[in-house]
Order: sequence, then structure tokens, then C-alpha cells
Amino acid sequence: MIALVYGMVLALLIPIAVACRRTDVWHLLAGFTSLSTKVAVLMLVVSVVRDDWMIGLVGVIILSVGNAGLMLLANLLWGSEP
Amino acid sequence: MNLLSLLLIALGLVFWFWGSWPLLGSDSYLSKLHSLSVADNLGSALILVGLLLKLPREWPLLTMALLMLVIWNTILGYVLAACSQPRPRRGSQ
Repeated sequence: MIALVYGMVLALLIPIAVACRRTDVWHLLAGFTSLSTKVAVLMLVVSVVRDDWMIGLVGVIILSVGNAGLMLLANLLWGSEP
Repeated sequence: MNLLSLLLIALGLVFWFWGSWPLLGSDSYLSKLHSLSVADNLGSALILVGLLLKLPREWPLLTMALLMLVIWNTILGYVLAACSQPRPRRGSQ
């Protein structure tokens, strides 16, 4: 199970690499969207492994409301483009 | 049961890699977003089902996470795709 957790941390590096590259804002948003989902699921996996449900609760909250901010930002960017 | 949950989590991890990999490439934005949102959703859902099998005691929290993930991530993928397209000029319809 620990090996799978390390694999997930490795999978996190791909969206981080996308976000670090000089690219347009939409690729940045896609990278951060993927990053937030993966981190939230990784928190749930760690909370199952440690059986500590405060971490799990935060992971569920991120999954519930984390994307709302990105959706608002995408709409604001769409509105501000020429 | 433990083996099945490990298999599901490993399959979810494979989907994560398969979905994130095209982001580094040079395809069109929409095709990248498509593979990203499909693979992320499916992979994360498989991982959550694996966690449900591993620890059925915490089913309320994990089921809520699964529902929120499926609903909000799908809508977010749609919003990103729709907003990344150029706005239609007013009066050009």
C-alpha cells in the first residue's frame, strides 16, 4: 500500500511539471485542477492507511468545494478575454 | 477483499498516469483536457472504491467523496473546455 502511495506522489509531479512550464493560462488551470483532485484523493488514501479521519475530512471538503474556485476563475478569465 | 482493493487502487494509479501524461505533449487543448478529465475521474473513482473495500466502516465519508468527485470534476472539465474556447463575436450569429 505504501508503494502505491509513493506511486501517487510520483503521479502528482506531472501536473506540477505542467504548471512550472511557461504555458498559457488554460494549461495552468488544467494542471492545477488535476493537482487538486489528486492531492485530495491522496489525502483520503493516507487517512485510510493511518486510520486518522481528520485528514480524510479535509480531503472530502477539498473534493466538495475545491473546484468551485477554479470554475469561478475560468469564468472570470473567459469574461475578461477580448 | 484486501487484494481486490489493492488491485483497484493500482488500476486507478495507472489511469492517473495515463491521463496526466498527454498534458506534457503538444496535442490540442481540448484533447488533453478530455483525456485528463476522463482518466482523473475514473482513476480517482477506482481508488475511492478500493478504499471503500479496504475500510467499509468509513463508508459515509468515502461515499460522499466519491459522489462529490464524480459530480464536480465532470462539471469542472466541462467548464474549462467551454471557457477556453474564444467568445463568439456579438452580432456575428
